Amino acid sequence: MNSTSHTDSGDARESRLVRREFLRNTGGAGLGMALASLLAACGSSSKTSSASAASGGRTPLLIWYWGEQEAPGMQKFMEQAVARYNAQQKRVKVTAVLQSSDTLYSAFATAAQAGKGPDIQYLWGGTQALVDVWLGYLAPLSDYIDESWLNANIPQGARSQTYWDGKQWGMPFYQIGTALPYNKKLFRAAKLDPEQPPTTWSDFMAALEKLKGTGVSPIGLGFKDQFLGGWLISYFGQQNFNSIAEAIAPFKGGTAYAGPTYTEWISRVKDLVDNGFSNNDVLSINLYQGQNLFPTRKAAIVTSVQPQITSFYRTMGGADTVGVMLPPAFGTGTLARSFGVPAQVLLITKFSSHKEEAAEFLKFLHTPEMMQLMYKVSGAITPDNKFDQAWLDTETDKTMLGWQKSLPDFWYQYYYPLQFETNGVDPGLQKLWEPNGSVAGAVSSMQSAIQQWKNQSPAQAQAYSSWQLLA
Amino acid sequence: MRTKRLAPYALLAPAMALLALVFAYPVVAVVNQSLSVPGLFGVTHRGFGNFSIIFKDPLFWSSLENNLKLFLTIPFMVIVGLLIASLLYSRTSGWRIYRSLAFLPYVLAVPVIGVVFSYMLEKDGVLNEALSSVGLGFLRHDWLGNPSLAIWSVAAVIVWQQLGFAIVLFLSRMIAIDESLYDAAKVDGANSFQRFLYITLPQLARVIEFFVAISFINMLSWVFSYIYVMTGGGPVQKTYVLELYVYEDAFRNGLSNLASAASVVILTVATIVLAFQAVVRTRVDRIAV
Repeated sequence: MNSTSHTDSGDARESRLVRREFLRNTGGAGLGMALASLLAACGSSSKTSSASAASGGRTPLLIWYWGEQEAPGMQKFMEQAVARYNAQQKRVKVTAVLQSSDTLYSAFATAAQAGKGPDIQYLWGGTQALVDVWLGYLAPLSDYIDESWLNANIPQGARSQTYWDGKQWGMPFYQIGTALPYNKKLFRAAKLDPEQPPTTWSDFMAALEKLKGTGVSPIGLGFKDQFLGGWLISYFGQQNFNSIAEAIAPFKGGTAYAGPTYTEWISRVKDLVDNGFSNNDVLSINLYQGQNLFPTRKAAIVTSVQPQITSFYRTMGGADTVGVMLPPAFGTGTLARSFGVPAQVLLITKFSSHKEEAAEFLKFLHTPEMMQLMYKVSGAITPDNKFDQAWLDTETDKTMLGWQKSLPDFWYQYYYPLQFETNGVDPGLQKLWEPNGSVAGAVSSMQSAIQQWKNQSPAQAQAYSSWQLLA
Repeated sequence: MRTKRLAPYALLAPAMALLALVFAYPVVAVVNQSLSVPGLFGVTHRGFGNFSIIFKDPLFWSSLENNLKLFLTIPFMVIVGLLIASLLYSRTSGWRIYRSLAFLPYVLAVPVIGVVFSYMLEKDGVLNEALSSVGLGFLRHDWLGNPSLAIWSVAAVIVWQQLGFAIVLFLSRMIAIDESLYDAAKVDGANSFQRFLYITLPQLARVIEFFVAISFINMLSWVFSYIYVMTGGGPVQKTYVLELYVYEDAFRNGLSNLASAASVVILTVATIVLAFQAVVRTRVDRIAV
């Protein structure tokens, strides 16, 4: 185990050099996109300098974060949290900079290559964060926070998404329990019981048929920006698995992504397409546009995450209008009735000069006062065992937290390599909306994407294959 | 004496150093990077392995194919640009206003254009609603959601934005043509088409050649913003272009070596286009002489 660790670390350093060279090169080559990223990074660097100058002798700590899109109010929370932290102690001055979706990864990559940038970086969790771990941009969180504290406070499901090589890398920041919000009034109009949403696939299809009959889109979807694929596979793609190890086996090697265990869910998505149960412009609108069909009452059910569902609940009429359901079960695995609770993470950068201080601030965000504040302001729940169910003020949140405590926690998207999604799941599923789209075509896309990932990213594949899940 | 001879070089040195720093060094470094083939977790040897991988990647080829499809907009823009410039040159009433209007799209930021057209071209967007309202509902399409149509929809938006540049460029040159040439042609009995063919077009040859060369390079390495904003490469990866391929490899997939290799391919094709332009320019110069 130790020798593997050494090898991995050395290789990661080499990989870091490779990518550093590339970014330096493309930045100068004048590609518009690289230039834009560099400009963004320059802007951020100047903010770093400003933060340092304005810290008044205190240790400056810079955070780049994201979250406003999926947890409206996150910016307000972070501003208040930073203000309170800066006021309650005099050693450190924290500056938090909100990133846009487009610059979240590119600006960090550029900054990481230069070795200058934030002390704490926000990343989407799971493998999407681990890629940057493998590139050597990040420091292990468990080197700065006691294992006992992590064990006592962070739920295992949230920890395991960024646990690799025997170390905890990401501090779960907020969780985005993923479920299907539904409009109870539209259910009533379709003569469906709004308090008993369908739990099986056959009941689900029958319900969608009735909803369709009322003239609304049963399910609101947007797939133009190619994010929906990760949602659909995570809602449905795990239903025949009995363990997470089974889910990641095709990527570790030795198991084909084939057969009903892995691909039955694609047929279910095809059922939705063939029956016209989604809006008719799925491929011409973005994910968020599809989700916005819900508050405008054009769709009865949408894909969504807990903070957004809370927002729907608070703005659309509360428990009388908004309910929440799990993806209906069709599979036979123990994960058929699971609840996806992906956790977005904050990570300490490798190049930070203030890692101890960064770790302290991350722990501060897990104090009861901050957890309550985050929920109140943004509707987001902190993945922390201390989070008290009594703080919740919506029925949907209570339902989802109940699921979290009683069902297996698994969100597929955070366990497979991203290229599988971008080159396989997304185009494969989009094909289903084409006139001649077939399940076999989608499966073929996904299989090719796995092979392509292994061919094109042997380093990532090697790191992935050594992934030992947190027991 | 020797100091005097070296003085020009000394004066040029800062500029040359700057050019080397800004242009030459990064290009050399990208090429160098493209030849670094990573083994497990790092560079293990040098060679053409990155090129081999991208050349085997169907997405790379379909990206290049889309760039080539966008090349087809260039002759269209030249012809339509010439027609509109000729109309404006004939000093139709309000031609200055029309010229400004034609140029207006060119000064708008591409992301803004991309966002606006994304909404307009949605299946239930403004364009389709307008078509339905004037009885042309049969022309309704999912302009950006249909894999067969999406790249052409983006191409149309690019034409809409870039055409103004062609018009202003051609018109500026037309205005500078010596009027006596037309007067002489009229005296010789040349009709308007003949005057266009034998005077206007040859006089415009150099600016047309310039516009074509610039447009080729634009379509190869400056369409990222349109694609990224309007389609993100979809649906079904049917609107990927080489720039997006580079971006995805570099910033999403962590495959910087492959991104470098694809960048070198773009650079090579652009260089070929520039070389071709140089050849054409030489010939145009000969004709002019």
